[in-house]
Amino acid sequence: MRPDASELGDARRRVEALLRELPVSSGDRAFDQPWELRAFAVAVAAYHAGQYEWSEFQLSLSDSIRRWEDGDGREPWSYYEHWLEALETVLAGNGVLSDASLDERSRTTLATPRNTGHHEAHRKPVAIDPARCIV
Amino acid sequence: MTVTTRTQEEIAARVKALESLMIEKGIMTTDAVDRLAEIYENEVGPQLGASVVARAWTDPEFKARLLEDGTKACAELGIGGLQGEDIVAVENTDTVHHVIVCTLCSCYPWPLLGLPPNWYKDPAYRARAVREPRAMLRDDFGVEIPDSKEIQVWDSSSEMRYWVIPQRQAGTEALDNEQLAALVSRDAMIGVGLVSAP
Repeated sequence: MRPDASELGDARRRVEALLRELPVSSGDRAFDQPWELRAFAVAVAAYHAGQYEWSEFQLSLSDSIRRWEDGDGREPWSYYEHWLEALETVLAGNGVLSDASLDERSRTTLATPRNTGHHEAHRKPVAIDPARCIV
Repeated sequence: MTVTTRTQEEIAARVKALESLMIEKGIMTTDAVDRLAEIYENEVGPQLGASVVARAWTDPEFKARLLEDGTKACAELGIGGLQGEDIVAVENTDTVHHVIVCTLCSCYPWPLLGLPPNWYKDPAYRARAVREPRAMLRDDFGVEIPDSKEIQVWDSSSEMRYWVIPQRQAGTEALDNEQLAALVSRDAMIGVGLVSAP
């Protein structure tokens, strides 16, 4: 069930070779929210799928960060919001994804109740394997 | 694009939408994204859960509040980000061992533990955890729960997110909270691992 540790290590080294080319030190790149890791993985997967050159993404990310730096300082810093903006920009620029379709799908996603198709909350254990040799 | 006005929930929905569109276009597969996310999944969060466990071990009053109302006790420590879901802590003891699962999908106490590992979403884990938890812990995770202990399996849902307060090891009395937290793994808080010895 678990991935082989050395395989994971190799995959990580390959991804980090890409990351080294990006702006911002690795400390700022820590993930705080699950969506950040997801956005990260989607961007690398799209690059692997040949949707853009890594240098395009790199430039787009730098641009987004620069716009923030040039701003009035009221927007809080979020590395992965810039990451997401950069990803949307390169995908739109290459005609892969339009802003309109993304807006529409985002609205649908938000409007779908989180517990659609989900079971009721269980307030007791769903299974108990009793102790066997109580003397 | 204005980034400030969006909530975390809105951004998360946008990322989800982007991923689903890319998958529908055949550009990538969920598997490919999962495999990349897996590289870093350990870095999102479980240390927060571990620090709460350490606090519970060393502060009985906090532990009582945590068991009484997990969501509120975690909020005391600034841990939240949930929208309507309750965090429910279940405590391992000398007589009971707890395991968490989401039998339908992958509901997970992510503010404490970060992202679920891939195997947590695996139908094999979801089924076997309920059907034969003792054998699963032994065969798949190498964790031998003595027959003298009952095993309780808790099914997380979109409303209730269970997580496990594992048992503190003997010989850890001299450690501070940070050192204690380092002993608490993600697996221990899912209930498929035990706390490592100092």
